[in-house]
Amino acid sequence: MTQATIAAPAPRHRPRGRVLPYLLSLPALLICIGILIPFATAVWYSMQRYNLAFPMTRGMIWWGNYLDFLSDPSFWNTLKVSIAYMVLTVGVELLLGLGVALLLRRSTVFNNIMSIALMLPLMIAPAIAALMWKLMTNPDFGILSYLVGLVGLHDFKWASAPSTALLTVVLVDVWVYTPFIIILLLAGLRALPTQPFEAADLDGVPRSFVFFRITLPMLMPYIITAVLFRMLDAIQQFDIIYAMTQGGPGDRLMVFQVQAYLDFFQNTNVGRSAALLMILWAITFGLSNLFIKHWLRLRERVHGAR
Amino acid sequence: MSDLILDRISKSYGKTQVLSEASIEVKAGETVVVCGPSGAGKTVLLRLVAGVVEPDTGDIRIAGRSVLNVGPERRDVGMAFQNFALYPHLTAFENIASPLRARGLEAGEIKKRVDEISKLLRIEHVLGHTPRELSNGQKQRTSLARSLVRGPGVLLLDDPLRNVDAKLRYEMRLELPRLLRNFGSAVLYVTQDYKEAMALADRIAVLRAGRIEQLAPASAIYDAPESIEVARLFGDPTINLYPIRPEAEGGAAVVRLFGQTWRLPRGREAAIDRDCMLGLRPEDVRIGGDGHPGSVAFELEAVTPLNVRGVLYLRGPAGEELLATVPERDIGQFGRGHRRIWIDLPAEKLHLFDRQSGARIAPAAA
Amino acid sequence: MSMRKTNPIARALRALALLLVGLFFLFPIFWVLLMSFQTNQDILRIPPSLFFSPTLENFYAIISGKLVTSAGTLEVPFMGNLLNSVILSTASVAVSLLFGVPAAYAFARFRFRLGEDIAFTLLSFRFAPPLLVVLPLALYFQDLGLNNSYLGLVWVYQLISLPLILWIVRGYFEDMSPDIEHAFRIDGHSWFATFMKVSIPLARPGIAAAALLAFIFCWNNFIFALILASADKQPVTVGALAFVTASGIQYGQIAASIVLSIIPTLALALYAQRYLVEGLSLGAVKG
Repeated sequence: MTQATIAAPAPRHRPRGRVLPYLLSLPALLICIGILIPFATAVWYSMQRYNLAFPMTRGMIWWGNYLDFLSDPSFWNTLKVSIAYMVLTVGVELLLGLGVALLLRRSTVFNNIMSIALMLPLMIAPAIAALMWKLMTNPDFGILSYLVGLVGLHDFKWASAPSTALLTVVLVDVWVYTPFIIILLLAGLRALPTQPFEAADLDGVPRSFVFFRITLPMLMPYIITAVLFRMLDAIQQFDIIYAMTQGGPGDRLMVFQVQAYLDFFQNTNVGRSAALLMILWAITFGLSNLFIKHWLRLRERVHGAR
Repeated sequence: MSDLILDRISKSYGKTQVLSEASIEVKAGETVVVCGPSGAGKTVLLRLVAGVVEPDTGDIRIAGRSVLNVGPERRDVGMAFQNFALYPHLTAFENIASPLRARGLEAGEIKKRVDEISKLLRIEHVLGHTPRELSNGQKQRTSLARSLVRGPGVLLLDDPLRNVDAKLRYEMRLELPRLLRNFGSAVLYVTQDYKEAMALADRIAVLRAGRIEQLAPASAIYDAPESIEVARLFGDPTINLYPIRPEAEGGAAVVRLFGQTWRLPRGREAAIDRDCMLGLRPEDVRIGGDGHPGSVAFELEAVTPLNVRGVLYLRGPAGEELLATVPERDIGQFGRGHRRIWIDLPAEKLHLFDRQSGARIAPAAA
Repeated sequence: MSMRKTNPIARALRALALLLVGLFFLFPIFWVLLMSFQTNQDILRIPPSLFFSPTLENFYAIISGKLVTSAGTLEVPFMGNLLNSVILSTASVAVSLLFGVPAAYAFARFRFRLGEDIAFTLLSFRFAPPLLVVLPLALYFQDLGLNNSYLGLVWVYQLISLPLILWIVRGYFEDMSPDIEHAFRIDGHSWFATFMKVSIPLARPGIAAAALLAFIFCWNNFIFALILASADKQPVTVGALAFVTASGIQYGQIAASIVLSIIPTLALALYAQRYLVEGLSLGAVKG
């Protein structure tokens, strides 16, 4: 075999193929920058006393806004309401969603039609869903007011009364978002391998044992995904609550984003609004990191199984 | 057509060094088969030549010209993939026509060439089908047709017979050399099956752990393997190997094995007093049933038919294991085993390897 | 699946449960639909009745844009809202596809640091509070004159549709074996020809699923339009709310406007439900 006569290997610079990925992602990069700039601005504003109505008082107060929150009952109310909303909606949606997914587990014609039909509320804009429920709970002609009147609860104020307002918006949220959990868990249930269940069947294992020790653990990745997704969306809920009551009655439903919106547009208090949103962002960032880490692990598992 | 030269190619992925300083030269019209265990880097080699992967160091030259900065579309290369890689949304005709359309040939010429090659590969009746509707054998031949239709200077075949049923595999092993000779391209073929390599290759490149251990015609690889690993890879059942230490005795090199002393043929003096491995192919074991001087008694433990031979499992006086093969027709005389038979070692068929490096200790030029 | 005999009582309970669930989720849609065909009189009647003579006057009022009340004739700009929704959703998805599909391809096929960073940023902002970005943006837009413009809104809508497209389409490209693309390049085609003639056609189901979902989410968006759009650019989500406040007692028309607002997304969902389920579960679990 003739000896190769090239002394040194070819130079490393290879223009072809190196530039391409950057070129392709350039537009996406622009959007990224277009998001990061306002974000940075918000961080900066959150460290200022900044009110559009009092431009002369604008100045850096660093942690001032945040420290003020600690002694501000309105802030604690916001935190309390947001967490309550999150816990209630996610809790109810998970249980209801899991139940329905289990009911629809087998792939029959009826079940499949049902699952498609049940998907519909998810396709409706949450703001419009709130509107629909507002109509349904209207004291004059709302069908729900009429129905609860039949069981003796006259003059049920639904979203207008402080005691029942949270319940009402939670109800709307459950109506809109449970289908998401159903779709996810149903996909998970149908993707489960059949052998463990057939084996349990043959061995005569009781149903409850099968559910708690076989089904549930295998379904955990999907459940965790669904719960994290919903938690992140619920604590930031704006559309439903704003459309329903704009945060009222009083401050009964002042969750983070509604409060921040009103701070900005009603009270023109940019600094406080930004600081409130930063706190919300910190919470969601922590939660979403949890999720992304878990989701990446899930992806590895799925990809590794190829 | 074109020559293909791979010049000291190295490639690593992360911490794994997939290829180290691999060099191969393929002449136009020649078929070089790259053979080796899985994970040895064979597929990466092909992709480097095709241009879909870049080497870390080294050069690739086609028709004398370096192609390192040339995209796959301008390298004049044809490739047939192991899993066919046909375009699922196009018909078989369009799949095969793709290289011609890329060259901008006009429709009439395209049709002529596609019909020509598909007749050659006997798939002209399925040209209108999509890949989904084809059998594996038809897919493989469509894939081959696509790689050949342009008459490329270099042809890369990535284990094309792997996913095809056994009968078709044997047929193609006979057909392929004839087909490839027609086209005259420099062919680089990859396989894990050493028998396929020996059937198809003008020369075989044995690739192990990223290095080319030997590049030679099949007979040389089989009869004079450059290392223990090459010897192990080629041969079924695997070559018998024993650690030994040749000594000097009466002016020649001798080996003590199985309680006997065997004379090594002339020219092996370099092996004296070195730690070696002795290799003996099962088919080279001489079986004689009557204990003539110079033979050893072995216990026959089992007899197994294998293809057109029988494999004898033998155990030596000190418990050594030995595999020997005999022609199929002779299996009968050995019964089921459990008897004593005599074997003899033909000196000229003994292979010697250095135990440390694994390299062959070649007989000194006489 | 189970060899046990299904208990008839269990079966009846299961059917009942499904019935109640179906009722809960579908009844509101049904009720609003009914209401849109009723006159104000029928609506306010107590007890409410399923039997009434349907009327198209509500829809007619909305579509023609004129509401005749005892207090005079009101201009109903709702059709404008509908048009805005169509424009904004379609344009946003189109832009997201144009920017997102090549980027998704780059992320799937190449491993490069910038790609990981961009993907991570866009992904994490999927979960970030939208107001955090939109409120400062509102101030910037005022300075840039982008306030109340389609351009500004489409830009902001990218926050919704681009991460979705990236997430789903990247997964799709990752699932496609690169060998087919390699084969096309080796045949003699340029990278761009390969992208257009092989990569995109083969990823079409994933792209369709992503585009569909993105359209629905854009259509249903409320908060961005609320902040950055004035009356003439508002989509139906904001428009319906404004309509309620404006027209007060015209419940039939409110119901009709709700119906018109939700028909497009419901119709899309029914038409392409397979793509949707794929997109939602792909997006959430597999990625």
